[in-house]
Amino acid sequence: MKIRTLSYALVALAMCATLAATASADEPAKKVQENVPAVAVAEAYVGDVAPGIQRGYGQPDLFYNFYTQGAANRANAQMYLSPMPIPPNVGHTFYTYQPFYPHHMLYPHQNRFHRHYDCGRGMNRTRASYYYPPVRQTASNVYWNFLRIPR
Amino acid sequence: MIHRIILAVGLVTASIAASQTSATAGDPYGMAQVWSYNFSMNRPWHGNYYNQMYGQPLALIVPPTAHMRQTYSWGVSQNLMYPIHHQFGRSANSPGAARGRFHGTPKWPSHTDQFGTYYVRGPW
Repeated sequence: MKIRTLSYALVALAMCATLAATASADEPAKKVQENVPAVAVAEAYVGDVAPGIQRGYGQPDLFYNFYTQGAANRANAQMYLSPMPIPPNVGHTFYTYQPFYPHHMLYPHQNRFHRHYDCGRGMNRTRASYYYPPVRQTASNVYWNFLRIPR
Repeated sequence: MIHRIILAVGLVTASIAASQTSATAGDPYGMAQVWSYNFSMNRPWHGNYYNQMYGQPLALIVPPTAHMRQTYSWGVSQNLMYPIHHQFGRSANSPGAARGRFHGTPKWPSHTDQFGTYYVRGPW
C-alpha cells in the first residue's frame, strides 16, 4: 500500500516538474510582450547595451569554404569545389542551404544551423539530424550479422 | 507490486538510454581529436605525388569519424596502416598550387601513395 502511494507521489512530482518546465519556457515571451510599451516610451531597444553604444550584430557567411589546415603543406586544398577552384569564367556554385551540405551526409550526427536576417537582428534556427535509414540499416545488419556466410 | 515498479522503471530507463543513439567515435574527452589536430599542424596532408587528373595532390574527403588509412605496395611488409590526422577546417590559407615540386605517378606504380590521392577528413 505504501509503495502504491509512493508511486502516485512520484508520478505527481514528475507532472509538476514538466508543468513547471513548460511554464518557465513560456515566460520570456510574456515578458517581451510586457516590455514593449515601456521600451517605446524610453526610446530604446531591447538590444541596446547602453545609451550611445550600438550593439553589433553577427552576420556570418551563408557559404563558407573549408580548407586543409596546417603549416607544413606545400599545397592546400579546398573542400568545395574539390580539389581546386574552377576557372573564373565558369562562375561559381554555392550551397545556399547549409543543412544540405554533402559533408554532413558522411556520418550520423545532429547539428544546428543559424541564419541571420534583417541585418543580423533576426535569427532563424534549423535543427538537422543525419542518420542511417532505419529499415535499410536493420535489413543490412540482419544480412551482415546473421545471413552472410563469413568468408 | 514492487517488482512491477522496478521492472517499469528499468524499462523506461532502458528505452531512454536506447533512444539516444549518438555517433560518438569512442572519444568522449576529445583526446584523439586533439592529437590529430596537433599532428596535422606540422606535417602535410599530402604525399610527394600529384594526381594525374589535377596536377596537384588530390584531397579525398572521408567521414570525420574515419581514423585510419591503408596503403598497399609490393611485399607483405609494405602494407601499412596510418592514422588520418588531417581534417578540413575553417582557417583559410593560401591555396598554393606547387605543381613542379611533386612527382608524377610512375609508369609502373608500386605504392598506393603514388597515385596522388590522399585522405582528408571532412569537418565536424
